[in-house]
Amino acid sequence: MRLSFSDDDVEFREQARTWLTEHAPSPADRPGSGPDMRTFDLEWQQAQHAGGWAGMDWPTEYGGRGATVTESLIWQEEYARTGLPGIDSRFVGLSHAGPTLMARATAEQKEAHLAPILRGDVLWCQGFSEPEAGSDLAALKTRAVVDGDELVVTGQKIWTSYADQADWQELLVRTNHDVPKHKGITWVICDMRLPGIEVRPIRTMDGHAEFCEVFYDEVRIPLRNIVGDVDGGWSVAMSTLSFERGTAFTVHQVQLAESVEQLIAIAHDRSDDHGRPLLADEELARALARARADCAALKAMTYMGVSRNAATGQPGPEGSMLKLRWSELAKQVSRIALEVFGASALSRSDRQAGSWVEQFLLSFGFTIGGGTSEIQRNIIAERVLGLPR
Amino acid sequence: MSETMNLMPTDEQVEIASSSRAFLADRLPTSRIRELIEIDDHAGDPVDDKTWREAAELGWFALGLPEEAGGIGFGLADEAVLFREIGRSLAPGPYLSTVLGARVAAAGGADALAADLVAGAGRAGLAMPAGSSDLWVLDGGAHVLMVRPDRAALVPTSAIEALAAEPCIDDASRIARGRQGAYAPVAEVTAAQDPIHRRALVLSAALLVGMAEQCRDLCVEHASSREQFGKPIGIHQAVKHPIADMAIRAEAAWPQTVVAACAHDEGRPDADFHALCARIAASGAARDNAAHTVQVMGGMGFTHEHDAHLIVKRAAVIASTLGGDKALLAQLLAQPPA
Repeated sequence: MRLSFSDDDVEFREQARTWLTEHAPSPADRPGSGPDMRTFDLEWQQAQHAGGWAGMDWPTEYGGRGATVTESLIWQEEYARTGLPGIDSRFVGLSHAGPTLMARATAEQKEAHLAPILRGDVLWCQGFSEPEAGSDLAALKTRAVVDGDELVVTGQKIWTSYADQADWQELLVRTNHDVPKHKGITWVICDMRLPGIEVRPIRTMDGHAEFCEVFYDEVRIPLRNIVGDVDGGWSVAMSTLSFERGTAFTVHQVQLAESVEQLIAIAHDRSDDHGRPLLADEELARALARARADCAALKAMTYMGVSRNAATGQPGPEGSMLKLRWSELAKQVSRIALEVFGASALSRSDRQAGSWVEQFLLSFGFTIGGGTSEIQRNIIAERVLGLPR
Repeated sequence: MSETMNLMPTDEQVEIASSSRAFLADRLPTSRIRELIEIDDHAGDPVDDKTWREAAELGWFALGLPEEAGGIGFGLADEAVLFREIGRSLAPGPYLSTVLGARVAAAGGADALAADLVAGAGRAGLAMPAGSSDLWVLDGGAHVLMVRPDRAALVPTSAIEALAAEPCIDDASRIARGRQGAYAPVAEVTAAQDPIHRRALVLSAALLVGMAEQCRDLCVEHASSREQFGKPIGIHQAVKHPIADMAIRAEAAWPQTVVAACAHDEGRPDADFHALCARIAASGAARDNAAHTVQVMGGMGFTHEHDAHLIVKRAAVIASTLGGDKALLAQLLAQPPA
């Protein structure tokens, strides 16, 4: 067991930190939504690509950095220090659709799509969830029929992040109704500019509209865009899981720990209405100390996952555990932040409290998106612990 | 390429874990623990001299002691691997205070006492403050280890005034209440010489992690095999989700304990921060998991016959050492950020 990094890894961290300090844009300059956000995110991806830092986990044969899992961890930690949101709008391309294409696409499909994702030319979105197919994804109903050399798609997707800004979509459709639900699904590359596609942003409780509904009315997609076999899409969709290296939540984890440290500093400096330091309140002090310990343990879990992955090359049980633990903890910390700011936290534009209020509202989505906490607990109980289903 | 961060156990640590696990299963299965604790009520040694000496022969009390002090010279991480197994087994006895007492004796020049403790010929108990001049003594023998963040000392048990045994919540632990007399330690070390308090945090965290993991495993086994309404109870989310949470608590507490032990072994400045985090994570994991274990086991979990209560009680005892969460959370908040 060893906590210190090797000299090579320490040097890698130095290089990453130096490059990020010199090249990362200011988080304050990032537009919150719309085409300006798209431009900002793609330019930042282009800068990383030009600097040789794009696709940390992508194999070199696809133009990636082919980094070790430890280097990937270090990059995420240093990236988090910039204060920029993590992979965010680039997530689907770089960490989901891209790896799926690497695992299952034809040479032509890879040729057409992988390099533009890595270079920052395009954004991808994910067309998986539907109004009647959330946690039970395989219940999806969006219908697709083969007509000549095209797939004709009619139906609806929901919770599609950045559908209004994306160029491409990894789309799951039902091509067969006469077989068990997992066996009639097809994975297809969908051009978001095709006629018949309508995107409607969904305003969420934080007031923003990152998610969209996407409607398909006889959208004609070339058959050559199908990845894997017709009706074989479920296994294609699942193939991405083996790409997970246990660092997907590292930026979130580092930034959460940083916000706890900020709250401790603020609670140390601010006084309550009676002039007493906020930290004199034992309940608040203990909540902050516990949050500190929980953040440390979350980081340790990440390190254990990376250690296990480096040893075995396999994703361990941490993926679901990290997601669950981080999201629940982020909600708790947001609640503590509201305690710290008191009535100021009622104002969304308060100079100090405003960003914490935004985070508080956003945090409700953390335990829902990307697999609800309940689904994560099922996965841990059944796949990690082997409890009966 | 040189070694880099890796929290997985080395082959040697895997061997320490498996050999200690085998020894504990053979010598101190819970059936034997029950015999020992029921010999007489809340008095006498909770573990017999023969077993204690056998543990000494395996090198348990010498493992982390420097070679020049007659020890094996392994790191705190190696000791944590051992203590996790001791915690898991619920083996009774003052392992923590004897191991750390031997360090204090050796560093403080009490060589003969150090040799006795290492050889299993003597035992040291652990002092726990109880108000102004009162203190509790947990387990032990002729000496008591006193641990504060800035220093640690061994005092003769005979120097504690009006020491009187009281029935402990944990049948396998012994407690006595007394008053600290004149402070005349036979050996004393400052934290700068040897951070005994930090070591105690890490090793008690390891004990608690072992318990938290044992709870998880007992519940997985029970929820998979116990049938009601013709189905294993573990199919119900009301049963399986709390067990998933137990797994997460254990999965968080062990890596943090490893991080703390490594931070110490590698001389890092944030070692105290991590040790406090480890102990806080582990005490929460052990106590919450033990409480849920009683619930998952249903009526059987509430009986004396079932092991669930043994874990609830041992976790309460170990979690109350070193001031318990209340003191440790305050210490953590006073630390600079890691």
